[in-house]
Amino acid sequence: MRFSEGTHRLHWATVPLRAFIFLIIYFVLLGFPLLLTQTEDGIVLALTPDVLARFLIVTIPMGLIAVGTGLWTWLALRFRVDGDDLVVETGLLRKNKRRIPLSRIQAIDLVRPLVTRVFALAEVRVELAGGERSEIALRYLGRHSAQQLRAELLALAAGLPGQTPEAPERHVWRVSFGTLLASLILRLPVLGTSLLFFASLLFLLMYAEGGILAVTIPVMLGLIRAVIAPLVMYANFTVAMSPDGIRLRYGLLETRMQTLPPGRVQAVSIIEPALWRTLGWARIEVTVAGYAGERQALSSTLLPVAPRHVAMHLVSQVFPGTNIDAVSLIPASSKGVAIDRADGAGTDDVVFVARHGWPCRRTDVIAHARAQSVRLTVNPFQRLLGLATVHVDAPPGPVQVAAADRDLGEARAIVESTARRALAARRSGGGDPTRWAR
Amino acid sequence: MNASHGEPPYEPAANPGQQGAAHPPSPSGQGHGGRPPGQPGQVPAHYPPHQPPSGPPAYQADQAFAPGGGLQWSPISKRHGWHRLLTAILWAIPIGGVGAFIVWGNGGLVPAVMWVAAVGLAVVLAWLLAELDRRTYGYVERADDLIVTHGVFVRRLIVVPYGRMQFVDVTAGLLERWMGIATVRLHTAAAATDATIPSLPTAEAALLRDRLAQKGEERSMGL
Repeated sequence: MRFSEGTHRLHWATVPLRAFIFLIIYFVLLGFPLLLTQTEDGIVLALTPDVLARFLIVTIPMGLIAVGTGLWTWLALRFRVDGDDLVVETGLLRKNKRRIPLSRIQAIDLVRPLVTRVFALAEVRVELAGGERSEIALRYLGRHSAQQLRAELLALAAGLPGQTPEAPERHVWRVSFGTLLASLILRLPVLGTSLLFFASLLFLLMYAEGGILAVTIPVMLGLIRAVIAPLVMYANFTVAMSPDGIRLRYGLLETRMQTLPPGRVQAVSIIEPALWRTLGWARIEVTVAGYAGERQALSSTLLPVAPRHVAMHLVSQVFPGTNIDAVSLIPASSKGVAIDRADGAGTDDVVFVARHGWPCRRTDVIAHARAQSVRLTVNPFQRLLGLATVHVDAPPGPVQVAAADRDLGEARAIVESTARRALAARRSGGGDPTRWAR
Repeated sequence: MNASHGEPPYEPAANPGQQGAAHPPSPSGQGHGGRPPGQPGQVPAHYPPHQPPSGPPAYQADQAFAPGGGLQWSPISKRHGWHRLLTAILWAIPIGGVGAFIVWGNGGLVPAVMWVAAVGLAVVLAWLLAELDRRTYGYVERADDLIVTHGVFVRRLIVVPYGRMQFVDVTAGLLERWMGIATVRLHTAAAATDATIPSLPTAEAALLRDRLAQKGEERSMGL
């Protein structure tokens, strides 16, 4: 099947799947209470013919409605590739047409929630730059046709014909389960919280005092959020490089396959918590313009944990032609008084690097070609000391690049030189990443 | 790790620099006269500073917020302070009136007078701050970017390249329209940019917007 020709619909199994989900919700909210009868000794589940008839009278029309709406939404959504655009049409009576220029695609994700694995289905999400409503989710396509669509869209976005076979990929790194678990636990806040958890548990057992639950339960929830949730989410994390971008695959219950085309990563942060540094581990977070709002938080991780040299290699793939460790960092002014002490900042022709943080060290990197604006700020404290902070602004995301506590004159020189390098980088073609294969 | 540096998978920088360096300065013949005479972008002042700097190297500390390149900050309208004062008064009348009425009902005349005095003091403070703020505001259109500076407590200097502007909007509220001023706001893909020039005379704001839009279009590019 070729997606670049003709009009297409979602996989037919979407209809029963939607109907099934609708019926489950119906059964929980309305169907099950209908099966219960009120008697003198309370509510009982008695399947008398009377009750069954009552149940069926409501359930059969509901089932028809469920199938009907499933069929309706399946019929209503059509998509095709028209020249350089992906066209998504929705609605049978009121038609709604959306044209998406393929060159605007920031990332394409293949998501497979647990339910859809039974049917071998997958969801294709196309992320675009700008706004909360700037994603297109095609729920659901067959697993193979979803991969096919992804490959074709990426090929077309790269400026190649749609028939181009899927780009070959080169395995880079796989995060083992043990490493992931150890990395999630070996963080000072997590260790501190678990200490508090065990202490409160001990207190609870020794004194049988229920009030301590007010501490235990929130702490436990926090631990689940900080350890279990990322563990399930990032399990089996693999990174691969291919000509159409970085491919990430991860997830235990809901598997995701993300593709970040070249030049879509706006800024990168290499995070090394204190305990990880002794083990030589690092984590990479990225800002991608497509992911707005909560999706940003969901998919900002490029690598949950890896040896530092792997992380550095990946960053050098993201920003080609540079080596972050080779960028000489000029230490910040010794007059600075912040606890979160800036280590320093430096630049080469491709990237601007700022490193700060104690005990958790962050190295923030932004490519000059991606910098949106440069700011110089002086707060009243800094003014007393004759210091300033230089911010290099990226689109909203987890990475904020700022060189704190520079001497005033030096800060202004950094601003000017960064602006100039950004201009040069944009002019040399690094600024327009569309059609990367042409 | 099997990460071999075989072929660079990314788009190679096919012709770095050549075209960029030869890029002609865009024509400035649109008669607005907004283009500054100097071309401050020409002198490569290197950073880090241990490289031999050619040209004017580091800035002096007191020059950190100067426009540089022999340019002058364009100020905003003097009506900025009056506009803020009027806004403050319009807020103060209901707050002062209702508050004074409630305080008078509960506590008598003296607290009510004190309340009114406090509101009046707040208005004066707001006006003073707006006036100080006006003095710190300035913007300069340079060859390739717009720089804006402002801030009383936290001083800011924002450099926005024309090629990065997503859109420029001019807003004027009722009061602003009556006073003949408008606010020009530059939007980039970064939310932190916040390059806002308030209280420009309406005609100047429209001209600035047109110039910025044109320069943005000439140099526009994707994210």
